[in-house]
Amino acid sequence: MTAVLRRHPMLPVGVAFGAFLLLAPVFAERGTENDLWNMSFFLVLAAAWNLLGGFAGQVSLGYSAFVGIGAYTTVLLAKAGWSPWLTLPVGAALAAAFSVVVGLPTFRLRGPYFTIATIGVGEAVRVIASGLDFTGGSSGLRMPAGTFDFTANYYAMVGLALVTLALVAWLTQHAFGLALEAIRQDIDGAEALGVNSTQVKLQAHAISSALVAVAGGLFATNFQYISPGSVFDFRLSLTIVLMPIVGGMGTLTGPVLGAMLFSYLQIKLLASPALRDSYLFIYGGLLIVVMLFEPKGILGLWERLIALWARRRPEQPVAEARRAS
Amino acid sequence: MQAESGPILVVSSVSKRFGGLLALDSVSFEVNRGEIFSVIGPNGAGKTTLFSCLVGAQRPTTGSVRFKGEELSGLRNDEVVVRGLVRTHQIVKPFRDLTVADNVRVGVLYGRLRLRGAKARERVDEVLTRTQLGTRASVKAGVLSIGELKRLEIARALATGPDVLCLDEVMGGLNPAEIQQAMALVRALRDSGLTLLMIEHHVHAVAGLSDRLVVLNFGKKIAEGRPAEALREPAVVAAYLGHESKEETRA
Repeated sequence: MTAVLRRHPMLPVGVAFGAFLLLAPVFAERGTENDLWNMSFFLVLAAAWNLLGGFAGQVSLGYSAFVGIGAYTTVLLAKAGWSPWLTLPVGAALAAAFSVVVGLPTFRLRGPYFTIATIGVGEAVRVIASGLDFTGGSSGLRMPAGTFDFTANYYAMVGLALVTLALVAWLTQHAFGLALEAIRQDIDGAEALGVNSTQVKLQAHAISSALVAVAGGLFATNFQYISPGSVFDFRLSLTIVLMPIVGGMGTLTGPVLGAMLFSYLQIKLLASPALRDSYLFIYGGLLIVVMLFEPKGILGLWERLIALWARRRPEQPVAEARRAS
Repeated sequence: MQAESGPILVVSSVSKRFGGLLALDSVSFEVNRGEIFSVIGPNGAGKTTLFSCLVGAQRPTTGSVRFKGEELSGLRNDEVVVRGLVRTHQIVKPFRDLTVADNVRVGVLYGRLRLRGAKARERVDEVLTRTQLGTRASVKAGVLSIGELKRLEIARALATGPDVLCLDEVMGGLNPAEIQQAMALVRALRDSGLTLLMIEHHVHAVAGLSDRLVVLNFGKKIAEGRPAEALREPAVVAAYLGHESKEETRA
């Protein structure tokens, strides 16, 4: 047990956080539950994206494609008579398959060129979904009646968030995580030591896109209506990237902090008519501030405060020692 | 697997062209098992490009590289490493935010040996001890001195479990005491059964260590053989020191 704790010092906090989310329906109001659902949704997106974008340093701006694939798979299959729950693994598999198809050509590109390519992929998917008949075009699709069950959806989304965090924690503690780190820090150096960088990136891409697609499927069931403008939106891709950056990229807790901040901001901003249309300005401003002053995000700020505090503490004994000599 | 006898590495007519520059011009040589084989030559002779072509970091324009009887050209760098041919980098490539032990662990986990668990930990410790980095195991690689970084390059490559280790100027920038240490390490590696291919500028180290060597100049092989003989050849002397005046008069 102590060995587990030493490896995962954040485990007690994670368990408390999970217990709080799972017990919330007992004491919280429906409005609060909605907010917590929202936070869990963003948490899945941020933490899953962070596996490829944060740990492996492959910044993708096309993740709305996977939210959309999950959401559309759920609605289309539900309309064909499937139970919404059974559609989730199908959406995950389709998203993972699509991530490999997209990854094979784009992972040949490095740095900003990869990022630019993923913007193109995300937009292409949105345009295609808007133009096809079976996806309902730009007006979107509605879930069949009788599929809405908020409480079940709440537990599923919270469960997915906790599974995502546990999976990321586990993967990054093992060989796979070291390969991701090596790729981020020096991809040529990683290859020179035997790391098949394309394969590792494809695996991380597939795992994270599958998780994101399940969140997309739950999103569709919860909101009962989806359109290219909601699930394939470029602004959604942007939000997915901003959360880990603001929280702390390539860390386990960074995306959680980012998701908390963003879901809180979203609630506050959407409630205020004056700010409703300007939220991208605020996100953009936040991004610039983080990049300029603390590229490691909220976690970096926290570490800096701890270091400051630790430096101030031992001053007393040093001063005493000086007096004694 | 190929028979144990015969050269372990056969380089045949390898050329590499970068646009108008012929960086390697039909270079051929063979390296035997258990040998310390050096590649020397003035700056820009194509030595590092040759190493890149051997391990698949760059593709030769023409020519072939056979390792343990298997053709390597067309394989990626990581595929070559897994077959037992690995190189270090002249410009060191540490993962600066990882600890020294984790740097080595990447090679242990993903190289030819692909060890896991307790065996992987043992291998990491063993490699760190051999390269005298044991006391620096839990330090971030970014804070190491240049001498330690050069040893870390060797440690990481060694961790992959190679048959042939290509060392690209591991003695560059070291002080005389460190060069002695590095030479002792190279000998110890050979004695443990490795074949070594070295790029080196330090003539004393090359002459003292190498069984055989090739000399490159402007991408071409201009000499080959035992160090004492090859280093005395007029073409080699000319490449390093310039022509003597009587050689400049054309026949």
